[in-house]
This record gives sequence, C-alpha cells and structure tokens, in this order.
Amino acid sequence: MSRLRVLKRVGLLAAIVIALILPLIAPDPSTTNLAVFTVMYIGLATSWNIMGGYTGYISLGHAAFFGFGAYSLGLLSNHLNVAPGYAPFLLVPVAGVISGLVAVLIGWIALRTRAATFVIVTIAFMFMGQLLAENLVKLTGGGAGLGFPYPQQWGGDFYNTPFYYAMLALAFLALATSWTIRRSKFGLGLLAIRDDEDKALAVGVPTRRFKLAAFTISAIPVGMIGAVYGYYVTYVYPQFVFDPLIGISMVLMVFLGGLGTLAGPVLGALLLEPAQLQFAYRFGASRLYLVFYAAVFLLVMLFLPRGVVPSVQELLQRRRQELASP
Amino acid sequence: MHKAALGILAGLSLVLAACGTNNNQAAQSAGPITIGVSLSLSGDFSGDGKALKQGYDLWAQDINAKGGLLGHKVTMKYVDDASSTQQVVTNYQTLINQDHVALVFGPFSSLLTIPASAVTDRYGYAFPEPAGGGPKVFEKGLHSIFFVQPATVEDNLVSYTQWLLALPPGQRPKTAAYATQDDPFTQPQVDKAKGLLEAGGVTTASYKVYPAETPSWDTLALQVVNSKADVVILGTQEPDAVAFVKVFIQQHYNPKSIIETTGPDQGKDYADKVGAANTEGIMVPTGWTSDSTAFGSQQFVREMVAKYGGSAGDISADSAEAYSVGQVVDQAAKKANSIANKDLINALHSGTYQTVQGPISFDSIGRPHGVGVFIEQWQHASAVFVYPSSVAKAKPEYPKPNWS
Amino acid sequence: MRIVLEAAVLGVLTGGVYALMASGLTLIFGVMRIINVGQGALVILGAYLSFALSRSIHLDPFLTLIVTMPVMFLLGIGLQFVFIRPLKTDREALSVLITYAIALGIEGVLGFFFTTNYIELRAWYETASFAIFGFHVTWVYVFGFLLCLAILGALFVLLYRTSFGAALRATMLNRTAAQLVGVDVDRVSALAFGIGVATAAAGGVVFGVTNAFNPGSHYDLISRLLSIIVLGGLGSLRGAIIAALIMLVTTDIAAVVISPVWASFVFFIILVLVLIVRPQGLYGVRVRERI
Repeated sequence: MSRLRVLKRVGLLAAIVIALILPLIAPDPSTTNLAVFTVMYIGLATSWNIMGGYTGYISLGHAAFFGFGAYSLGLLSNHLNVAPGYAPFLLVPVAGVISGLVAVLIGWIALRTRAATFVIVTIAFMFMGQLLAENLVKLTGGGAGLGFPYPQQWGGDFYNTPFYYAMLALAFLALATSWTIRRSKFGLGLLAIRDDEDKALAVGVPTRRFKLAAFTISAIPVGMIGAVYGYYVTYVYPQFVFDPLIGISMVLMVFLGGLGTLAGPVLGALLLEPAQLQFAYRFGASRLYLVFYAAVFLLVMLFLPRGVVPSVQELLQRRRQELASP
Repeated sequence: MHKAALGILAGLSLVLAACGTNNNQAAQSAGPITIGVSLSLSGDFSGDGKALKQGYDLWAQDINAKGGLLGHKVTMKYVDDASSTQQVVTNYQTLINQDHVALVFGPFSSLLTIPASAVTDRYGYAFPEPAGGGPKVFEKGLHSIFFVQPATVEDNLVSYTQWLLALPPGQRPKTAAYATQDDPFTQPQVDKAKGLLEAGGVTTASYKVYPAETPSWDTLALQVVNSKADVVILGTQEPDAVAFVKVFIQQHYNPKSIIETTGPDQGKDYADKVGAANTEGIMVPTGWTSDSTAFGSQQFVREMVAKYGGSAGDISADSAEAYSVGQVVDQAAKKANSIANKDLINALHSGTYQTVQGPISFDSIGRPHGVGVFIEQWQHASAVFVYPSSVAKAKPEYPKPNWS
Repeated sequence: MRIVLEAAVLGVLTGGVYALMASGLTLIFGVMRIINVGQGALVILGAYLSFALSRSIHLDPFLTLIVTMPVMFLLGIGLQFVFIRPLKTDREALSVLITYAIALGIEGVLGFFFTTNYIELRAWYETASFAIFGFHVTWVYVFGFLLCLAILGALFVLLYRTSFGAALRATMLNRTAAQLVGVDVDRVSALAFGIGVATAAAGGVVFGVTNAFNPGSHYDLISRLLSIIVLGGLGSLRGAIIAALIMLVTTDIAAVVISPVWASFVFFIILVLVLIVRPQGLYGVRVRERI
C-alpha cells in the first residue's frame, strides 16, 4: 500500500472518530448546535449530489422533500400522540418513505423536461408543496405553523446531542448510498446520462427509469433529515421548511466542494454552513453580511468553478507529474 | 481522492471543537451585563426592526441613567436571524452559551418567537417578548415565556366589537366584510371578531383569507368593495394595510368603519404611505398611543422624541411594546432582588407590573392579563384612543368620513 | 360575474409589468442559455434607483426611467462581462448560482442604504381613477401598462426590424452558426444582457408604483418570473408575454372564484399540465441541449 493510501485511510478514520465523539470533546451547546446544522447539510448536499452530481439534472426544489419530511413527522407524532423523547426518531424512516413517494410523483412529471426547464420546474413543485402546507389548514395547521413534541426532559446541555447523532446517522446513510451507487452499474448509467443522455439511451441505458430512481433515492434522505430538523427546532412553518434557500444551499455546497464527487458535498457543507451561521450572527446587525457572503461566493465561483475537490486534485496531480519527470 | 477533503474535515472539526468553551455562569456580581435580541434584518421576511430596537435602546439608556438594572450597567446586543428558523435557534444558543448574555429579550419576528422560546426555555432563561402573542405561542405551556402586551393577540379586536354592538340600534352596522392574512398573528383576532359580531346580529357580507405573498392585493380589496359591507375588518400586516386603503379610495368605497390589525399603529410611516388626509377615521387595535397616560408613558414619549427626533405621533407602538419589556424586567428584578433568570421567572408569575401599556400580569404559561387592547382612531392626522371611554381622548368618529 | 370581469381586467393590467420583467429574463436565457436568478433583485434595484431619484430631485417616478434605464443597461453589460463571460463549463448551473449571489449582494447593499422598511414609489396621481361601467380603473395601472406595452413594442422592433436584432436572433437559434457567419456573439451577449437588465429598470418602476417593496421582495418576484418563462417556453419573448398574462389573469380570477389562498396553486397546476403535454412550454422549441 502506498504511503498516500495509508495517509488517506488514517485521515478518514480520524474524521469518523472525531465526528463520533464530537459532543464529548466539544460539549458546549452553541458548538453542538452548529454541528447539528453542519452535519444536516452534509447529509442534504450528499443526497442532492446523487441526482444533481451524477445525472447532471439540477434540482433547485429539493427543499420540497425536506418540507414533506418535516410535516410528515410532525403530523404523525401529533396524531399518534408520540411521547417526546427518543420515540419520534423511530418515525423518521416513515417520513423518508413519504418523501420518496412524493418524489416519484414529482419526478414522473418533472423529468419529462430537461436542463434549464427542469431546474425551474423543481422550484415550482417546491412552491406547490409550500402552498399545500399553507392551505390544507385542517391537516397541517396552515400558516399558523406546526408544533412538534417537545422533549423538555432533555436539559439545555444534553438537548442537542441526540439530534446530532440522528443527523450524523443520516449523513452516513447518504454517504454510503452515494458511495455504493458510484461503484455500481446503475451509477455508470447515471454518469452516462450526464455525459450525453441521447447516446446513453442509444446504448441501452433505461434513462427514464434510472433518472426517476436517482431522483427518488436522493429525495428519501432529504425527507428524513427534514423530519429530524423539524423535531430539533420544535416548530415549523410552511415557508421555513419548504424554503427555496434550503434548496439552493445544498446546491451551492455541492458546487463549492465539487460536483459529482463523494467528498465534495461534505467539504462544501463543512465550509459553508458554519460560515453562514457565524456570518449572520457576527455581522448581521451591520446589515453588510449579505454583501460579504455574496462576495465570497462570487470569488469562489469565478476562481474555482469546478469546486474545491477537483481543483485541488488537479493541482496535486500536476505536482506529482512534475516530481515524476526529472 | 478524498484525502485533501478529509484532512480539512478533520481540521475543521477540531476548530469547531475548540470554539466551544464550557463555562455557563451568568454574571452575578454587580458588573455590566449584556441582553441579547435577535432581529430579522435580512431575508425573505425581513422587516425593519428599527422601532423595536429603538424601544429597547431607550430603555437601556434609561435604566443605565438610573444606575443600571439592579446596579448592573446594561448593554444590548442585536444579531440578525436572516428570517430563518435555523439562524434564530443558532442565535439564541450562541447568545446564551458563547456570549453568556445575562438576559434575552424576544425577537422582532413573531413567527420566530416560538422556536426561539423553546431554546431559551431549556437554558432556564426568562423570555419576555413583545411581538409573538398568537395562541400557538402558548401551546407548549412553557413557564419561561412572557408576552408583554395588554392582552393575548386573539382578543385584540374584542373591544372594537363591543363598541360596534353598543352603538344605538339605528346606527349599528348590519353587514361586515372580513379579509385576513393566514397569519398566526392576524387570523385569530379576525376570526374571533367575526364570531362575536355574528352573535351580535351583524351579517357577514364577505370573509376572505389570503396568503402573505400575493402578486396583488387589488382583487381581494375589490371583493371587499363589492360586498358593500357597512364595516370592514382587515387582518393586515404592513404592506397590505396600505394597499387595501388605496383600492378603497380608488373605488370610492366608503364603509362606515374600517379597522386594520396592523398598519395604522405605525404612526407617521402609515400616514405618509396612505396620505395624511386619507387616514381620517381609520381604526386599529392597540395597547398604546402617544397620548396614553399609563405608567411612564408621557416620559417615554418625551424621551423618544428627544432621542430620535420627530414628534409624538411618529412613535410606533412597537417601540412602546419593547420598552414595556424592559420595564417589566426592571420591576421583576427589584421584586426578586436578583437578576438571575430563575428568580425573574418566579417573580414574573405573580404580581402586577406597570408598563407604558398599563398594568400587566402573567398567568402560569405567560399569557398576559392587562387592561385589554383599546381602539385607536386617526383623527386630524394623528392617532388617538377613542374606546373604551375610560381611556378615550376623543369621541369615536362614526360613521367614518368619506375619502377626501 | 361582474367581479370576475373586474379581476380579469386587473389581471391584464398587472400582467403587463410581469410580461416586461419576464421578457428581459427570457431574452437573456435565449441568447446566453443562462437563468438569471438575479433578475428579481435587479427589478427591485431599479425600483430603488427610481425611488432615490424621485425623492431627491422630485421627479415623477415614470420620468426617472430616462436616467435609470441607461444606468441599468450599463450595469448589465458590466455584470455580464465580469461574472457571466468567464463561465466556461456547467454554464447553466453555475450561472444560477452566480446570479443568485448577485441577487444576495444587491439585497445586502439595498438593505444597507435603504433599510428593510417597505416603501412604495409615489406619484401625486396615485389614487386618481376613471370609471367604466361603475368600475374604477386607476390611472397608474393604465400608465404602467402602456409603458410596458411601449417598451415591449420597442423590443420587438429591435429584434425583428434591425440588423442587430437579426444577429441577436441568429445567436439565439444557434450560437456556433451565428459565429460562423460573422456575428460577434460575445458583443451580442453583452448587449442582450444589458437590454434585459434595462427592462428590469422599467419593470421596477411599474412594479414599484403598484406594489410596496423592500430589499427582500426579490425572492417572490423571481419565483413568479421563472414560472412564467417556463410556461411560455424558455427563450420565447412571445411565450413570456402570453404566460405572464395567463398567470396574472388566472390567479386573479381564481382568487375571486375559488379562494385567494389557492390562486397561485391554480397557476402551478396549469403549468404542470402544460409541461406534461408540452415539456418545452407554450412557445418553446424542443432543442437538444446539454447542461
């Protein structure tokens, strides 16, 4: 095994260990809260990448599944009178299944379109989800919002920990799914669609079925993460979970890290989410934080248009070649 | 291929870990203290929290002039929640655990009050708040939240309905039109008013609920116009309050009475937007006007004018509500002889507190019991209390004069 | 019935400004194949520029366009040069993110200078109206509508009666072929972006006199504009205009007949139904394109 591979394994192991024991080494709630949201976005961006990165179909409406997941869990636990505590977590997979079913329906229609039209149609579907949550007042509570069971027994110092591990488990699930797909025939089919959909069809890739499958697979973890999020913040409103900004954040993170790579979305989320939360907190009152945020963004997009991971890879490769040639 | 990324991941996790320090003691000596507040200064639901901020700032200035909150000099710290739940939850956790603020006050956004209240509650912080008073705020049954207004929002229009129904039979309106945003602040009050008026024999000519984000309010306003109702009750927030009135003027629709839940209480800002002459006769439910004689109100008005300029009529009720939060906390601290949150929470659950909005007491889940919400009416380009007679500065104009 | 007619009239009048704003967006897409998510923010920027001008030199809001349209045109060319032209790969997706960042930047700057208070552009005749069959039509709506018609008309003349228009249409149809016959597509792209942004200035004024707005208003606006251009067919000017009218008229009528809360939903249903039958939108051309 080369030294590089050893280093890689050690790094990976260290990252996993740190992720697993983070609440022990950094028990301060303001830190664990940051970690909850950061890991949440690792999961979201990784899931989004399964569709957006592998097939090239850019969905800006994945917040629809986030919202459906959140509302599913909230309504289920209220109607089933689930006691606050660990019990609501058991319903998270149900929220995932519901989001998956919604994804099949949306994907069936949206995937008739391509490229830019697809981008916009997914936004439209997200807004339809938001309108349903707002208008089916008898079911959802409408614009007044929806409360979740509130685990008051978990004091402030412990409260964030269960949510951190739930988010972490979902992020691992998304990463494992993404990794498996990347190494499967299915994954090759998706990449073929990204390179040239018509050619892929010509060589026998069942493009429609593959795209719909990828779309659904990428929606399920998003729904589950939305469910955990709703439970964490204890109260959701339609416009705050069917939120276009949540949808666009996942995309930004993937592009920042590297589209279609495994590590890219992780890196993008790690860089962006803490930065965003800290920026708004520290500079928000000066009203200039949006300008900073936008400026950082534009610089990254202009100078690293392919994302951090591919750019760094390229750099390393070039250096290695330079070293190899005397 | 993931080496670089994972290296950074590990590095960042360490940085994250290093950020957290773990000492959770609130300042107990008589040193200076910081009070944290989250405002919505950017994002989809941003509004100018200026009036609220001015109220808090003025209170901090006053309390420091008097030697501080139980001897502690007060500094206010404002942060932006970017109109997002994630950020408001982060903000209050960071204020409490990283910046170790001694106290927190409620945010500008009434929607974000609920997720924020769950955060402050689990750190044992008292959460006096000026903005979120819908029924859902009290649903969790938290003991640490205190809504500092003279009544829960649901009851805001009750005194208006009492006034209408007490009019002599010949003048009493026969029909009413209702339109309200599907908002937890506006809809409960309009629905309650509708029930009360229907029970009192006023027929509903039109009832419409509309979303906050509507391409144009004109069609809605037209439906109200077409109902030809005697009185119009509108569950408005800021921009629609102006839009409705403009359409009524354009369509020469002159109901006998118009009341809007928010908008006309914004002082000069509102008059500028609808035109000063057009404000005549428009009503709004509010706990405070600039000519209120409640505890400290006149001094508050003088100081607001001195500090921020303008005239008494320009002061928004938001400022008075924010100022009241400070007054309540000040009195509770004196009563408990402590600024520890636990003691403040205990103190606030008993007794009555004097505010610029009148005396207020709180029940076990923070619902206020005050003098109730009154009716304010625009007369001769300024807003005055007109009902009930115990506080009225002028007789209500009824019917409302036609648009000029 | 009467109220339905009134709603339809209002829908057409307010549809004009959406048609104008959406045509700038669809023009930009047609020429450059990018989705300018910043168009909503540019509209709001235009409205604020007019607000500042009409406040400082007491100019009628409509007249401020003499200044704001050229300024915004130049701004558009600048934005295109700095941010859009360097994009080589993944243009469609990257442009969404870049223009989104531009939108955030504009929102931030506006919030800094003007606060996030809601404002409106004021004209002294803002509540003046005239009656047709007892229905009062407001003059500002009529002025706004006529202004939009005039600018859209000018846009059509530019596109179909000038040699620049021919070059522009050629670029829209096939960029490479246009280049082969000697069209300077970079120049055409820059000018098209400038024109698209200049229409945002005009849209901003009309939007601003009929709606209250704040720096955050662009989120709502852009989501509507995007739906319009997809319904009309990406890159089709005619499609954008028809779709804008469909959107405003159906939502206004649905608000009356069904309920205001379902009005936008009805439009989205129409959008979905159209896309099931015609994935390329009403006037779109089915092109084989890759992201």
